[in-house]
This record gives sequence, C-alpha cells and structure tokens, in this order.
Amino acid sequence: MSTTEEESDGALRSILPPKQVDWFINVCDHYGWALLLVGALVGASFPVLGLEGGYYMTVLTEMYLFAILALSWDIVGGQTGYPSFGNMAFFGIGAYATAILTKDFALAFPTAFLLAGLLAVSFAGLIGIIVLRLRGHYFAIATLGVLLVAQQVSRILDITGGSSGKILLETPTAETFYYLFLGLLVVEIGLVYYISGTRFGFVLNAIRDDEEKATAMGFNTTYYKTAAWMLAGLFTGFAGAAYSLFNTFIDPQTAYNGAWNVELIAMALLGGSGTVAGPVLGAFGLHTIIELVETYAVGWQLVLLGGAVIVTVIGFPNGVVGTLSEYASQMDYYKHGGMAATDTDDGAEVSADE
Amino acid sequence: MSKATSSPATDASGDRAVLRTDGVTKRFGGLTAVDDVDIEIHRGEIVGLIGPNGAGKSTLFNCITGTLTPDEGRVYLQGEDVTDWPEHKIARAGLGRMFQETRIFGDMTVRKNLLLAAQEGGADVSSLMRRPDSSLLARTDELLDYVDLGGLAETRAGRMSFGQQKLLEFAMELMSEPEILLMDEPAGGINPSMLGNLIEYIRNANEEQESTIFLIEHNMDFVMDIADRIYVLAHGERIANGTPEEIQNDQRVLDAYLGRE
Repeated sequence: MSTTEEESDGALRSILPPKQVDWFINVCDHYGWALLLVGALVGASFPVLGLEGGYYMTVLTEMYLFAILALSWDIVGGQTGYPSFGNMAFFGIGAYATAILTKDFALAFPTAFLLAGLLAVSFAGLIGIIVLRLRGHYFAIATLGVLLVAQQVSRILDITGGSSGKILLETPTAETFYYLFLGLLVVEIGLVYYISGTRFGFVLNAIRDDEEKATAMGFNTTYYKTAAWMLAGLFTGFAGAAYSLFNTFIDPQTAYNGAWNVELIAMALLGGSGTVAGPVLGAFGLHTIIELVETYAVGWQLVLLGGAVIVTVIGFPNGVVGTLSEYASQMDYYKHGGMAATDTDDGAEVSADE
Repeated sequence: MSKATSSPATDASGDRAVLRTDGVTKRFGGLTAVDDVDIEIHRGEIVGLIGPNGAGKSTLFNCITGTLTPDEGRVYLQGEDVTDWPEHKIARAGLGRMFQETRIFGDMTVRKNLLLAAQEGGADVSSLMRRPDSSLLARTDELLDYVDLGGLAETRAGRMSFGQQKLLEFAMELMSEPEILLMDEPAGGINPSMLGNLIEYIRNANEEQESTIFLIEHNMDFVMDIADRIYVLAHGERIANGTPEEIQNDQRVLDAYLGRE
C-alpha cells in the first residue's frame, strides 16, 4: 500500500479501526440466523407492545415491503449482475391477481395470495427465458419494456378496471398486513442468506463476475439465471399480492410503478448490492429518510433523496455494507503473506510434494 | 481420471484418444482460420500447440470447447461426438479450460472460486442448494496449500496478484479434475519464479494423476521442455506434428516462424 493512501486513510482508521469493523462483520456473519430471529421477534413484538394501526404501523409495513422488493431485485440485480428495471411487473401482476380474484371471483384472500404468487412466478419463468439471454444495458432496457407492456395491458383490459383501477374495500386488518409483510421479509432474508452460502449462490455470483468463464466451467448459465429470476418474481409477486388489498386501491400507475422500481434499485445499491443485509438496510434507511423528508420538509423530498444518493455513491461506492466489509478485509491479503507464492517458491512446499 | 477404461466404446474404430478432431474447419467470412485440422491426444499426454500469431490456435481451442461451432469436421471427447454440444455440456463431460487472460471470479473469495469448480453432485439447482460439505472444504484447503496460496482462502480473488490468480485458476482445474485440460498460454505474463512453480505443478498433475494437457504456448523453452508432443499450426493448417526435437528440426516449422512460405 502506498504512503499517500495510508495517509488519507489514517484519519478514518483511527476513528473506525478496520479490525473492529472486521470483528463486527464476522460476528454478524457467524450469528446470522440468531440476528434474523432477534430481528423477527423485535418486529413481531411491536403490535403486541401497543403499536396500533395508523401512521407508524403503515410506515413500518411499507419499510418491510420495500425491503422485500429491494432484496428480490438484488437476487438478480446484485447477486447475479443482471440489473432489471422491470421487477415491478411481477409486483403489478401479483397486485392485480389478488384484486381480481378476491373482488370478481370472491376467493378468500389467502387462496388469492398464493395463486397470485404462482402467477408471478410463471410469468417470470416465461419472460426470463427470453430477456435473460440479453446482457447489460440490453437486458435493462428489455425489462423496462416488459414493465411498460404489462402496465399498458392493465390499462386496456376490462377485468383490471382499465386506467381508473379497482377499489378494494373488503380487506384484512392493518395488523394482518403488518405480520404478512414482516413474515415474507423474514422468510426471504432467511432464504437468500441460506442460498448465499450454497454453491447455487456461488454460481450466481460467478455469472456476475464472468459469465463466459462460468459457462466454460460447465454451468448452463441461462438455467441458473432463470431460477434466480423466478425466485425474485415469487417474492415480488407476493409483495404485490398483499399490497393491492393493503392499499385498498390498485391502478396501472400504482401496480407498475416505474419510480418505485428506481427507488428499490437505489435502496439495494445504497445498502450494498450482492450482500444479504445491504438491500434490507438500504430499504429501511432510505425509506426512513423519505418519510422524514415528507413529514418535515415537504417539497424537498427529491432534493434530499438525490443528495443522499450522491453522498452514498461517493462515500460508499459498494453500498454501505459492501464498502464496510471491503474496508475491514483490506489488510487480509497482506496479513496472510500476499507474497507467499513468490517468497517460498523454492521452499519446502514444492519438494514435499515430490 | 479413472473413467478412462470404462468410457463408453461408442467409437467403432477403437478410439482410445481423450480428444480427437477430425478435419475441423472454421471460416470467418473469406478467411479460413482453421483448415482441416486433425488432432489426437491420448491419456496422460502433454501436447503443445504452437504457431505464429494468427495461426488459428485459439480458434481451434474455441472449436473444441464449443465456444465456436466448426463449419466442417467433428470433435470427439473420449470417443463421443461433441461437435454440436453446447459449451457447458462439453465442459461437464470433462473438458477443462484455462483462458489466455487469466479468468477467475474476482469479487468472490478464493475458496468460493474453488468450491465452484468441484464437479461433485452435478449441476442441478437442487443439488447445488446444499451447503458445501466438509470434505469439499478440506480439499480446497489442501489445494490452496499445494499452490502456495494457503491463508488466502477468504481473500477476494480479484485482490491477488496476477500470478496468484493464475495459480488459483490452475487450482480450480485441479479441483474439477477434467479428463483433459486446455491451457491457453499458461506461461504468459507471470514472473520466472512463479513460472517455475507452475511447470512443477503441471508436471506433478501429469505424472501423479495422469492428467492430460493440451496447451498453446509462445514460450518455446517452456513448451519444448514440458510437452511430449507438439502440433504446429500456420495459416490455419497443421504443418507439423512430432516430438520437440523433431519440431525444432522441421524445415516447414522454421520457415513458418521466419515468415518464409
């Protein structure tokens, strides 16, 4: 490491020693399941402790919702390296499915909810096989196209209520939705956390880092990409399925909200895409900022939101979680003898194998 | 590696070659990059592929691995016709490849790179959904120690030096134990002492595990030293085949390298 870098890092190192950050990250890694359980219990205890339906419960529920969306986006966008601008298409399909099934077909909400998830996954599978053959910008544009087409279709059809949408009055209680979104989020975090430690998770990361090499190693990348995409579709679809009734209203603009799609990407990137905690923390953080601004600085939302994005991108280019873990492990390479391979070349290792 | 004797005898001619190409031809527009090339590599051999720049060496590799589909001719891997197979399927069937520009997964830890290379349990999503077991983990440690990268298991692979990345890529191939390993310029761009190590590793793998290796190389000392046999390509055509001594004394080869037709 050069001296100039050391000097500029010096101040930060004394305030926030990499060792402690490293220790903290290791603890989080090691006790991941325990942390998730604690988080779930804390979240579940709020209504028991007296949180009632109203502003704060809605805000928390929305935080869980965005965390689900950001984490789903990140399965494909962050872990696999395929940034999608069309994730909200799954959301819209889920949302309309429950709206139509409960209102027009008088199905019970749980049945409609499950069917909506199934529908979103099937749609994801179908679309995935086509758009996942594209890469980079082409993929991003194609997914945006999917979102716009889905939105337009919902405007045209009668069953979706056209552009005026559907009003849904018979809905479960606010508390039900609170627990539903929390439960979905906990299950999804658990699943993504588990996958990130399996070779399936490694394949997704490998596709992100070098897809051609992954293919040369015997991985049919389209197959894994489609699987990841369908998983993202499932949770995004479920989130939409619950959202339409939670919101008591659904129209093409809300269901296929392009602005939300950008927002959830920002959440994943700010928190740290390609990590498990990053998108969730990003969603919590950004949504809190948005709520605060909407309460105390009406009219300045977008300005402050933009500011937050700029500061994070400059200060934490890999997202908060990603940058911290990079910072913590910076010295690892040198500690373990980065020069090992050249220093010991004619040492014992080689001759021992002969 | 033990599959050698039990491989399906689909080839009536009693083909014992690990890899065989039969008149492989690849054209790009009016240019014939690879012209009617026959190659045969047997188990346990180290075979070199040399030729001036633009001779078609990498194109031939790409035709073998399935990255490109030959316009004419067939490619047989262990007697099985794999010409029209997709690249990933050929790789699964036992063909390993190291690229010219070292390619590892830079944002993943060294250990994850290795775990990914292991072929155990197939490639289904369901079978990959299990956490890597302790025997796999033990093997990653063993291999890392072997190539002098011990202690770097949890380091981000992209942070290592170029030479170390090359060693990692080689360790990944040892992990997957391919039937045949195609190496595109393994000696390119690494320092002499590390090159010494790499030669040692390649020799060991070849002698102890009967690994079969087919390599493109520009470093003549290296390739003459390590190869049992050498093929020479020029203008897409195979102009010579023989032991290093024979190749060094072949007039056509000398002419090709000196630019005489």
